Amino acid sequence: MSMDATIIIFLLIYLLTLLVSAIELAPLSVAALSGALLTAWFGIQYGVFTYEEALGFVDFRLLGLVIGTMIVVEVAERSGLFRVMALYAIKLSGGSPGKLFVFLCVTSAAVSMFLSDPTAMLLMAAATVTITKLLNYDPTPYFLASTVMINLGGTSTLIGSVSNMIIGVEAGMTFTDFVSYLALCEVALWALTILTLYWLFRSRLGEKRELPEYNPREAITDKQLFYRSLFILFLLIFLFLTLENLGVGPEGVALGCAILALILSKLDPAEIFKELDWETIFFIAGFMFIVGGLEKSQFLNILSTQLFQTFGQNSLNATLSTLWFSGIASTIVSNIAVALTFSPIIKLQGFSGLSSSAVWSALVLGTNLGGATTPFSGAVCMMAVGALKREGITVHFGDFTKVGLITSLVQLSFSSLYLILRFGLI
Amino acid sequence: MARVKKWFKSRKPKGERKYEEEKREFEMAVGKPFIRIKIEIPEGFEDQRAQFLNLERDEKFLEEVRDLIKKRLTYEKHGVKP
Repeated sequence: MSMDATIIIFLLIYLLTLLVSAIELAPLSVAALSGALLTAWFGIQYGVFTYEEALGFVDFRLLGLVIGTMIVVEVAERSGLFRVMALYAIKLSGGSPGKLFVFLCVTSAAVSMFLSDPTAMLLMAAATVTITKLLNYDPTPYFLASTVMINLGGTSTLIGSVSNMIIGVEAGMTFTDFVSYLALCEVALWALTILTLYWLFRSRLGEKRELPEYNPREAITDKQLFYRSLFILFLLIFLFLTLENLGVGPEGVALGCAILALILSKLDPAEIFKELDWETIFFIAGFMFIVGGLEKSQFLNILSTQLFQTFGQNSLNATLSTLWFSGIASTIVSNIAVALTFSPIIKLQGFSGLSSSAVWSALVLGTNLGGATTPFSGAVCMMAVGALKREGITVHFGDFTKVGLITSLVQLSFSSLYLILRFGLI
Repeated sequence: MARVKKWFKSRKPKGERKYEEEKREFEMAVGKPFIRIKIEIPEGFEDQRAQFLNLERDEKFLEEVRDLIKKRLTYEKHGVKP
Protein backbone atom coordinates (compact mmCIF):
# COMPACT_ATOMS: atom_id res chain seq x y z
CA MET A 1 0.00 0.00 0.00
CA SER A 2 1.33 3.48 -0.88
CA MET A 3 2.33 5.99 1.76
CA ASP A 4 -0.52 8.35 0.74
CA ALA A 5 -3.18 5.65 1.15
CA THR A 6 -1.76 4.72 4.58
CA ILE A 7 -1.88 8.35 5.68
CA ILE A 8 -5.50 8.70 4.48
CA ILE A 9 -6.60 5.57 6.36
CA PHE A 10 -4.90 6.60 9.64
CA LEU A 11 -6.19 10.15 9.28
CA LEU A 12 -9.74 8.86 8.73
CA ILE A 13 -9.48 6.70 11.87
CA TYR A 14 -8.21 9.73 13.80
CA LEU A 15 -10.97 12.06 12.56
CA LEU A 16 -13.68 9.44 13.05
CA THR A 17 -12.56 8.91 16.65
CA LEU A 18 -12.68 12.66 17.30
CA LEU A 19 -16.10 12.96 15.69
CA VAL A 20 -17.59 10.02 17.61
CA SER A 21 -16.23 11.40 20.91
CA ALA A 22 -17.27 14.99 20.17
CA ILE A 23 -20.91 14.12 19.37
CA GLU A 24 -20.96 11.55 22.18
CA LEU A 25 -22.08 8.74 19.92
CA ALA A 26 -19.97 6.47 22.11
CA PRO A 27 -18.09 7.00 25.40
CA LEU A 28 -14.62 8.52 24.96
CA SER A 29 -12.88 5.30 25.96
CA VAL A 30 -14.83 3.10 23.53
CA ALA A 31 -14.24 5.59 20.68
CA ALA A 32 -10.48 5.77 21.32
CA LEU A 33 -10.02 2.03 21.90
CA SER A 34 -11.97 1.21 18.71
CA GLY A 35 -9.74 3.66 16.83
CA ALA A 36 -6.67 2.03 18.39
CA LEU A 37 -7.87 -1.41 17.31
CA LEU A 38 -8.36 -0.23 13.72
CA THR A 39 -4.95 1.49 13.75
CA ALA A 40 -3.28 -1.69 15.01
CA TRP A 41 -5.04 -3.86 12.44
CA PHE A 42 -4.22 -1.63 9.45
CA GLY A 43 -0.72 -0.81 10.64
CA ILE A 44 0.38 -4.41 11.23
CA GLN A 45 -1.55 -5.82 8.24
CA TYR A 46 0.06 -3.38 5.78
CA GLY A 47 3.50 -3.38 7.39
CA VAL A 48 3.47 0.28 8.52
CA PHE A 49 4.75 -0.86 11.91
CA THR A 50 5.46 -4.15 13.67
CA TYR A 51 3.65 -5.53 16.71
CA GLU A 52 6.69 -4.72 18.89
CA GLU A 53 6.75 -1.13 17.61
CA ALA A 54 3.02 -0.80 18.31
CA LEU A 55 3.55 -1.74 21.95
CA GLY A 56 5.74 1.34 22.27
CA PHE A 57 2.90 3.69 21.23
CA VAL A 58 1.44 3.66 24.74
CA ASP A 59 3.54 5.66 27.18
CA PHE A 60 3.26 3.77 30.44
CA ARG A 61 5.04 6.56 32.33
CA LEU A 62 2.15 8.86 31.50
CA LEU A 63 -0.44 6.27 32.54
CA GLY A 64 1.51 5.75 35.80
CA LEU A 65 1.45 9.48 36.50
CA VAL A 66 -2.28 9.76 35.78
CA ILE A 67 -3.28 6.66 37.80
CA GLY A 68 -0.97 7.50 40.73
CA THR A 69 -2.29 11.07 40.99
CA MET A 70 -5.88 9.86 40.71
CA ILE A 71 -5.43 7.44 43.63
CA VAL A 72 -3.90 10.12 45.90
CA VAL A 73 -6.70 12.57 45.03
CA GLU A 74 -9.45 9.95 45.44
CA VAL A 75 -8.23 9.23 48.99
CA ALA A 76 -8.11 12.98 49.72
CA GLU A 77 -11.62 13.42 48.35
CA ARG A 78 -12.96 10.64 50.58
CA SER A 79 -11.53 12.42 53.62
CA GLY A 80 -13.81 15.41 52.89
CA LEU A 81 -10.82 17.73 52.35
CA PHE A 82 -12.26 19.51 49.31
CA ARG A 83 -15.76 19.71 50.81
CA VAL A 84 -14.34 21.44 53.87
CA MET A 85 -12.61 23.95 51.57
CA ALA A 86 -15.92 24.77 49.88
CA LEU A 87 -17.70 25.06 53.24
CA TYR A 88 -15.06 27.52 54.50
CA ALA A 89 -15.45 29.57 51.31
CA ILE A 90 -19.20 29.85 51.87
CA LYS A 91 -18.76 30.73 55.55
CA LEU A 92 -16.14 33.40 54.81
CA SER A 93 -18.56 35.16 52.47
CA GLY A 94 -20.79 36.01 55.46
CA GLY A 95 -23.86 35.99 53.21
CA SER A 96 -22.58 38.78 50.93
CA PRO A 97 -23.35 37.79 47.29
CA GLY A 98 -20.25 39.53 45.90
CA LYS A 99 -17.93 37.81 48.37
CA LEU A 100 -19.72 34.49 47.89
CA PHE A 101 -19.26 34.78 44.12
CA VAL A 102 -15.54 35.53 44.43
CA PHE A 103 -14.91 32.84 47.07
CA LEU A 104 -16.80 30.20 45.07
CA CYS A 105 -14.76 31.16 41.98
CA VAL A 106 -11.46 30.88 43.87
CA THR A 107 -12.47 27.58 45.50
CA SER A 108 -13.58 26.13 42.15
CA ALA A 109 -10.20 26.90 40.61
CA ALA A 110 -8.33 25.72 43.73
CA VAL A 111 -10.07 22.32 44.00
CA SER A 112 -9.65 21.70 40.28
CA MET A 113 -5.87 22.00 40.78
CA PHE A 114 -6.15 18.52 42.33
CA LEU A 115 -9.50 17.01 41.34
CA SER A 116 -10.35 16.09 37.77
CA ASP A 117 -12.62 18.71 36.20
CA PRO A 118 -15.81 16.58 36.26
CA THR A 119 -15.25 15.62 39.92
CA ALA A 120 -14.58 19.26 40.84
CA MET A 121 -17.77 20.21 39.01
CA LEU A 122 -19.83 17.66 40.98
CA LEU A 123 -18.50 19.07 44.24
CA MET A 124 -18.95 22.73 43.32
CA ALA A 125 -22.36 22.15 41.72
CA ALA A 126 -23.59 20.56 44.95
CA ALA A 127 -22.15 23.43 47.03
CA THR A 128 -23.59 26.09 44.71
CA VAL A 129 -27.08 24.56 44.55
CA THR A 130 -27.26 24.16 48.33
CA ILE A 131 -26.12 27.67 49.19
CA THR A 132 -28.03 29.51 46.45
CA LYS A 133 -31.25 27.67 47.38
CA LEU A 134 -30.73 28.47 51.04
CA LEU A 135 -30.10 32.17 50.36
CA ASN A 136 -32.67 32.33 47.56
CA TYR A 137 -30.20 33.42 44.86
CA ASP A 138 -30.33 32.65 41.13
CA PRO A 139 -27.82 29.74 40.84
CA THR A 140 -27.02 30.37 37.13
CA PRO A 141 -24.29 33.04 37.51
CA TYR A 142 -22.59 31.13 40.34
CA PHE A 143 -22.76 27.91 38.33
CA LEU A 144 -21.39 29.32 35.08
CA ALA A 145 -18.63 31.19 36.88
CA SER A 146 -17.68 28.00 38.70
CA THR A 147 -17.51 26.10 35.39
CA VAL A 148 -15.16 28.66 33.83
CA MET A 149 -12.94 28.70 36.92
CA ILE A 150 -12.77 24.89 37.17
CA ASN A 151 -11.56 24.83 33.57
CA LEU A 152 -8.93 27.45 34.40
CA GLY A 153 -7.72 25.96 37.73
CA GLY A 154 -4.50 23.98 37.70
CA THR A 155 -3.13 25.46 34.48
CA SER A 156 0.26 26.03 36.06
CA THR A 157 0.86 22.66 37.72
CA LEU A 158 1.95 19.31 36.31
CA ILE A 159 -0.98 17.52 37.97
CA GLY A 160 -3.52 20.33 37.40
CA SER A 161 -5.10 18.54 34.44
CA VAL A 162 -4.59 15.39 32.41
CA SER A 163 -3.52 17.48 29.40
CA ASN A 164 -0.78 19.03 31.59
CA MET A 165 0.46 15.56 32.57
CA ILE A 166 0.61 14.57 28.88
CA ILE A 167 2.55 17.71 27.96
CA GLY A 168 4.79 17.38 31.02
CA VAL A 169 5.80 13.82 30.13
CA GLU A 170 6.14 14.53 26.38
CA ALA A 171 8.13 17.74 26.84
CA GLY A 172 10.08 16.54 29.86
CA MET A 173 8.77 19.50 31.87
CA THR A 174 9.05 19.06 35.64
CA PHE A 175 6.64 20.34 38.30
CA THR A 176 9.10 23.17 38.96
CA ASP A 177 9.21 24.08 35.24
CA PHE A 178 5.41 24.37 35.17
CA VAL A 179 5.36 26.60 38.24
CA SER A 180 8.26 28.78 37.09
CA TYR A 181 6.88 29.29 33.57
CA LEU A 182 3.18 29.57 34.33
CA ALA A 183 2.36 30.24 38.01
CA LEU A 184 2.41 34.03 37.62
CA CYS A 185 0.28 33.77 34.49
CA GLU A 186 -2.28 31.58 36.28
CA VAL A 187 -2.59 33.95 39.26
CA ALA A 188 -3.17 36.86 36.86
CA LEU A 189 -5.65 34.79 34.84
CA TRP A 190 -7.63 33.93 37.99
CA ALA A 191 -7.91 37.62 38.89
CA LEU A 192 -8.71 38.71 35.35
CA THR A 193 -11.31 35.98 34.83
CA ILE A 194 -13.04 36.62 38.17
CA LEU A 195 -13.20 40.35 37.34
CA THR A 196 -14.66 39.58 33.90
CA LEU A 197 -17.22 37.15 35.34
CA TYR A 198 -18.16 39.60 38.11
CA TRP A 199 -18.66 42.33 35.51
CA LEU A 200 -20.84 39.99 33.41
CA PHE A 201 -23.02 38.82 36.33
CA ARG A 202 -22.92 41.76 38.77
CA SER A 203 -26.64 42.54 38.40
CA ARG A 204 -27.75 38.92 38.93
CA LEU A 205 -25.97 37.99 42.16
CA GLY A 206 -28.77 38.82 44.62
CA GLU A 207 -28.87 40.75 47.90
CA LYS A 208 -27.06 40.20 51.20
CA ARG A 209 -28.70 37.52 53.36
CA GLU A 210 -28.10 35.94 56.76
CA LEU A 211 -26.02 32.75 56.63
CA PRO A 212 -26.97 29.93 59.01
CA GLU A 213 -24.48 29.13 61.79
CA TYR A 214 -22.33 26.11 61.00
CA ASN A 215 -18.86 24.77 61.58
CA PRO A 216 -17.10 23.54 58.40
CA ARG A 217 -14.88 21.24 60.49
CA GLU A 218 -17.96 19.19 61.42
CA ALA A 219 -17.96 17.92 57.82
CA ILE A 220 -14.80 15.96 58.63
CA THR A 221 -16.11 12.53 59.50
CA ASP A 222 -12.75 10.78 59.93
CA LYS A 223 -10.10 13.12 61.36
CA GLN A 224 -7.29 10.58 61.03
CA LEU A 225 -8.04 10.07 57.33
CA PHE A 226 -8.34 13.85 56.85
CA TYR A 227 -4.90 14.66 58.29
CA ARG A 228 -3.24 11.68 56.60
CA SER A 229 -4.68 12.72 53.21
CA LEU A 230 -3.45 16.25 53.77
CA PHE A 231 0.01 14.90 54.60
CA ILE A 232 0.16 12.72 51.47
CA LEU A 233 -1.00 15.58 49.24
CA PHE A 234 1.72 17.88 50.65
CA LEU A 235 4.27 15.08 50.33
CA LEU A 236 3.30 14.58 46.67
CA ILE A 237 3.82 18.28 45.92
CA PHE A 238 7.05 18.42 47.95
CA LEU A 239 8.48 15.40 46.10
CA PHE A 240 7.44 16.84 42.73
CA LEU A 241 9.30 20.04 43.63
CA THR A 242 12.43 18.15 44.67
CA LEU A 243 12.18 15.60 41.85
CA GLU A 244 15.54 16.46 40.33
CA ASN A 245 17.38 15.26 43.47
CA LEU A 246 15.48 11.98 43.61
CA GLY A 247 16.54 10.52 40.27
CA VAL A 248 13.03 9.26 39.46
CA GLY A 249 10.35 10.53 37.09
CA PRO A 250 7.07 12.17 38.19
CA GLU A 251 5.25 8.87 37.58
CA GLY A 252 7.50 7.22 40.19
CA VAL A 253 6.59 9.89 42.76
CA ALA A 254 2.86 9.71 41.93
CA LEU A 255 2.74 5.91 42.15
CA GLY A 256 4.84 5.90 45.33
CA CYS A 257 2.50 8.39 47.01
CA ALA A 258 -0.50 6.40 45.75
CA ILE A 259 0.81 3.26 47.48
CA LEU A 260 1.45 5.27 50.65
CA ALA A 261 -2.11 6.69 50.45
CA LEU A 262 -3.56 3.18 50.17
CA ILE A 263 -1.53 1.98 53.16
CA LEU A 264 -2.15 4.99 55.43
CA SER A 265 -5.83 5.53 54.58
CA LYS A 266 -6.76 1.92 55.46
CA LEU A 267 -9.55 2.26 52.90
CA ASP A 268 -10.61 -0.72 50.81
CA PRO A 269 -8.36 -0.48 47.70
CA ALA A 270 -11.06 -2.11 45.56
CA GLU A 271 -13.39 0.78 46.42
CA ILE A 272 -10.70 3.33 45.51
CA PHE A 273 -9.84 1.59 42.21
CA LYS A 274 -13.55 1.45 41.32
CA GLU A 275 -13.85 5.21 41.60
CA LEU A 276 -10.84 6.05 39.37
CA ASP A 277 -11.66 7.74 36.08
CA TRP A 278 -11.05 4.69 33.88
CA GLU A 279 -12.88 6.42 31.05
CA THR A 280 -10.08 8.99 30.80
CA ILE A 281 -7.31 6.43 31.38
CA PHE A 282 -8.49 4.21 28.51
CA PHE A 283 -9.15 7.23 26.31
CA ILE A 284 -5.53 8.32 26.78
CA ALA A 285 -4.22 4.79 26.06
CA GLY A 286 -6.37 4.40 22.94
CA PHE A 287 -5.68 7.88 21.62
CA MET A 288 -1.92 7.53 22.16
CA PHE A 289 -2.11 4.46 19.94
CA ILE A 290 -3.98 6.33 17.19
CA VAL A 291 -1.48 9.22 17.31
CA GLY A 292 1.35 6.66 17.28
CA GLY A 293 -0.05 5.24 14.04
CA LEU A 294 -0.25 8.72 12.51
CA GLU A 295 3.34 9.36 13.51
CA LYS A 296 4.53 6.09 11.92
CA SER A 297 2.70 6.96 8.70
CA GLN A 298 4.87 10.14 8.55
CA PHE A 299 1.74 12.31 8.50
CA LEU A 300 2.62 14.18 11.68
CA ASN A 301 6.11 14.83 10.33
CA ILE A 302 4.71 16.38 7.14
CA LEU A 303 2.06 18.34 9.08
CA SER A 304 4.59 19.59 11.60
CA THR A 305 6.94 20.85 8.86
CA GLN A 306 4.10 22.48 6.91
CA LEU A 307 2.56 24.12 10.00
CA PHE A 308 5.78 25.57 11.32
CA GLN A 309 6.89 26.67 7.83
CA THR A 310 3.60 28.57 7.40
CA PHE A 311 2.97 29.90 10.92
CA GLY A 312 6.12 29.51 12.91
CA GLN A 313 9.18 30.84 11.11
CA ASN A 314 10.27 32.41 14.40
CA SER A 315 9.68 31.80 18.11
CA LEU A 316 7.00 34.48 18.37
CA ASN A 317 4.89 33.06 15.53
CA ALA A 318 5.44 29.46 16.63
CA THR A 319 4.41 30.24 20.22
CA LEU A 320 1.34 32.32 19.38
CA SER A 321 0.08 29.96 16.68
CA THR A 322 0.47 27.01 19.09
CA LEU A 323 -1.47 28.91 21.77
CA TRP A 324 -4.37 29.95 19.54
CA PHE A 325 -4.59 26.76 17.43
CA SER A 326 -4.64 24.52 20.50
CA GLY A 327 -7.02 26.91 22.30
CA ILE A 328 -9.50 26.91 19.41
CA ALA A 329 -9.16 23.13 18.92
CA SER A 330 -9.92 22.59 22.63
CA THR A 331 -13.26 24.38 22.26
CA ILE A 332 -14.37 21.62 19.87
CA VAL A 333 -12.59 18.43 20.92
CA SER A 334 -11.27 17.02 24.21
CA ASN A 335 -8.16 18.86 25.40
CA ILE A 336 -6.57 15.46 26.06
CA ALA A 337 -6.83 14.69 22.33
CA VAL A 338 -5.42 18.14 21.51
CA ALA A 339 -2.45 17.64 23.87
CA LEU A 340 -1.74 14.15 22.50
CA THR A 341 -1.86 15.40 18.90
CA PHE A 342 0.10 18.65 19.31
CA SER A 343 2.85 17.14 21.46
CA PRO A 344 4.50 15.02 18.72
CA ILE A 345 4.00 17.87 16.21
CA ILE A 346 6.00 20.22 18.46
CA LYS A 347 8.50 17.53 19.41
CA LEU A 348 9.31 16.87 15.73
CA GLN A 349 10.43 20.49 15.31
CA GLY A 350 13.22 19.97 17.81
CA PHE A 351 13.01 23.39 19.48
CA SER A 352 15.62 24.12 22.08
CA GLY A 353 16.21 26.52 24.96
CA LEU A 354 13.74 29.28 25.69
CA SER A 355 11.93 28.78 22.36
CA SER A 356 11.10 25.24 23.40
CA SER A 357 9.80 26.37 26.82
CA ALA A 358 7.71 29.11 25.20
CA VAL A 359 6.05 26.76 22.69
CA TRP A 360 5.34 24.05 25.30
CA SER A 361 3.96 26.68 27.72
CA ALA A 362 1.74 27.95 24.91
CA LEU A 363 0.40 24.43 24.41
CA VAL A 364 -0.32 24.09 28.14
CA LEU A 365 -2.25 27.37 28.15
CA GLY A 366 -4.08 26.67 24.89
CA THR A 367 -5.29 23.19 25.87
CA ASN A 368 -6.44 24.43 29.29
CA LEU A 369 -8.12 27.69 28.33
CA GLY A 370 -10.30 26.64 25.40
CA GLY A 371 -12.26 24.05 27.37
CA ALA A 372 -15.17 26.17 28.61
CA THR A 373 -16.21 28.17 25.57
CA THR A 374 -19.48 26.43 24.62
CA PRO A 375 -21.75 24.01 26.53
CA PHE A 376 -20.21 21.22 24.41
CA SER A 377 -16.55 22.18 24.88
CA GLY A 378 -15.96 19.58 27.57
CA ALA A 379 -17.46 17.20 30.11
CA VAL A 380 -17.40 19.88 32.81
CA CYS A 381 -19.57 22.28 30.73
CA MET A 382 -22.09 19.57 29.93
CA MET A 383 -22.23 18.59 33.61
CA ALA A 384 -22.89 22.19 34.68
CA VAL A 385 -25.74 22.56 32.19
CA GLY A 386 -27.11 19.12 33.22
CA ALA A 387 -26.98 19.95 36.95
CA LEU A 388 -28.81 23.24 36.36
CA LYS A 389 -31.45 21.41 34.31
CA ARG A 390 -32.05 19.02 37.23
CA GLU A 391 -32.71 22.11 39.37
CA GLY A 392 -35.30 23.27 36.81
CA ILE A 393 -33.12 25.94 35.14
CA THR A 394 -32.39 25.89 31.41
CA VAL A 395 -29.20 27.53 30.19
CA HIS A 396 -29.44 28.39 26.51
CA PHE A 397 -26.54 27.72 24.15
CA GLY A 398 -26.19 31.45 23.41
CA ASP A 399 -26.10 32.49 27.10
CA PHE A 400 -23.39 29.96 27.94
CA THR A 401 -21.37 30.69 24.80
CA LYS A 402 -21.47 34.45 25.44
CA VAL A 403 -19.83 33.96 28.85
CA GLY A 404 -17.47 31.23 27.56
CA LEU A 405 -16.38 33.18 24.51
CA ILE A 406 -15.71 36.43 26.38
CA THR A 407 -13.70 34.72 29.14
CA SER A 408 -11.77 32.50 26.66
CA LEU A 409 -10.85 35.53 24.53
CA VAL A 410 -9.75 37.50 27.59
CA GLN A 411 -7.68 34.54 28.82
CA LEU A 412 -6.06 33.74 25.45
CA SER A 413 -5.29 37.41 24.74
CA PHE A 414 -3.69 37.88 28.16
CA SER A 415 -1.75 34.63 27.73
CA SER A 416 -0.36 35.87 24.38
CA LEU A 417 0.92 39.00 26.09
CA TYR A 418 2.30 37.02 29.02
CA LEU A 419 4.20 34.56 26.78
CA ILE A 420 5.73 37.42 24.77
CA LEU A 421 6.95 39.16 27.92
CA ARG A 422 7.92 36.06 29.93
CA PHE A 423 10.04 34.51 27.17
CA GLY A 424 11.21 37.77 25.55
CA LEU A 425 9.72 36.86 22.16
CA ILE A 426 10.04 40.36 20.68
CA MET B 1 -28.41 0.32 17.47
CA ALA B 2 -30.99 1.45 20.03
CA ARG B 3 -29.74 -1.25 22.39
CA VAL B 4 -26.13 -0.13 21.94
CA LYS B 5 -27.09 3.51 22.61
CA LYS B 6 -29.05 2.43 25.71
CA TRP B 7 -25.98 0.60 27.00
CA PHE B 8 -23.80 3.65 26.41
CA LYS B 9 -26.24 5.91 28.22
CA SER B 10 -26.68 3.53 31.15
CA ARG B 11 -23.38 4.83 32.57
CA LYS B 12 -24.61 8.37 33.20
CA PRO B 13 -26.57 7.83 36.45
CA LYS B 14 -23.26 7.20 38.31
CA GLY B 15 -22.42 10.91 38.03
CA GLU B 16 -25.94 11.87 39.01
CA ARG B 17 -25.81 9.61 42.07
CA LYS B 18 -22.51 11.13 43.15
CA TYR B 19 -23.95 14.62 42.66
CA GLU B 20 -26.99 13.78 44.83
CA GLU B 21 -24.72 12.31 47.54
CA GLU B 22 -22.50 15.39 47.48
CA LYS B 23 -25.55 17.68 47.64
CA ARG B 24 -26.81 15.79 50.68
CA GLU B 25 -23.44 16.30 52.42
CA PHE B 26 -23.68 20.07 51.84
CA GLU B 27 -27.32 20.22 52.94
CA MET B 28 -26.32 18.40 56.13
CA ALA B 29 -23.48 20.83 56.79
CA VAL B 30 -25.01 24.18 55.81
CA GLY B 31 -28.76 23.64 55.75
CA LYS B 32 -30.99 21.80 58.26
CA PRO B 33 -29.45 18.42 59.00
CA PHE B 34 -31.69 15.38 58.80
CA ILE B 35 -31.51 11.67 59.52
CA ARG B 36 -32.92 8.64 57.74
CA ILE B 37 -33.84 5.66 59.91
CA LYS B 38 -34.60 2.21 58.58
CA ILE B 39 -37.07 0.33 60.79
CA GLU B 40 -38.26 -3.17 59.97
CA ILE B 41 -41.79 -4.32 60.71
CA PRO B 42 -41.80 -5.69 64.30
CA GLU B 43 -42.14 -9.44 64.74
CA GLY B 44 -45.71 -10.59 65.24
CA PHE B 45 -47.19 -7.64 63.28
CA GLU B 46 -46.69 -9.08 59.77
CA ASP B 47 -50.46 -9.15 59.17
CA GLN B 48 -50.49 -5.30 59.50
CA ARG B 49 -48.07 -4.74 56.62
CA ALA B 50 -50.21 -2.05 54.91
CA GLN B 51 -50.74 -0.06 58.13
CA PHE B 52 -47.00 -0.30 58.86
CA LEU B 53 -45.99 1.01 55.44
CA ASN B 54 -48.47 3.91 55.71
CA LEU B 55 -46.68 5.19 58.81
CA GLU B 56 -43.95 6.60 56.55
CA ARG B 57 -46.40 9.26 55.30
CA ASP B 58 -48.53 9.58 58.44
CA GLU B 59 -48.05 13.19 59.66
CA LYS B 60 -49.37 12.42 63.16
CA PHE B 61 -46.87 9.57 63.51
CA LEU B 62 -44.02 11.72 62.20
CA GLU B 63 -44.95 14.43 64.73
CA GLU B 64 -44.74 11.82 67.49
CA VAL B 65 -41.26 10.81 66.28
CA ARG B 66 -40.18 14.49 66.23
CA ASP B 67 -41.41 14.86 69.84
CA LEU B 68 -39.46 11.76 70.80
CA ILE B 69 -36.32 13.26 69.26
CA LYS B 70 -36.83 16.54 71.17
CA LYS B 71 -37.22 14.63 74.44
CA ARG B 72 -34.15 12.53 73.70
CA LEU B 73 -31.99 15.56 72.80
CA THR B 74 -33.18 17.45 75.90
CA TYR B 75 -32.22 14.45 78.01
CA GLU B 76 -28.79 14.24 76.38
CA LYS B 77 -28.19 17.98 76.90
CA HIS B 78 -29.53 18.49 80.45
CA GLY B 79 -29.68 14.96 81.84
CA VAL B 80 -33.43 15.34 82.54
CA LYS B 81 -35.22 12.02 81.93
CA PRO B 82 -38.13 12.30 79.48
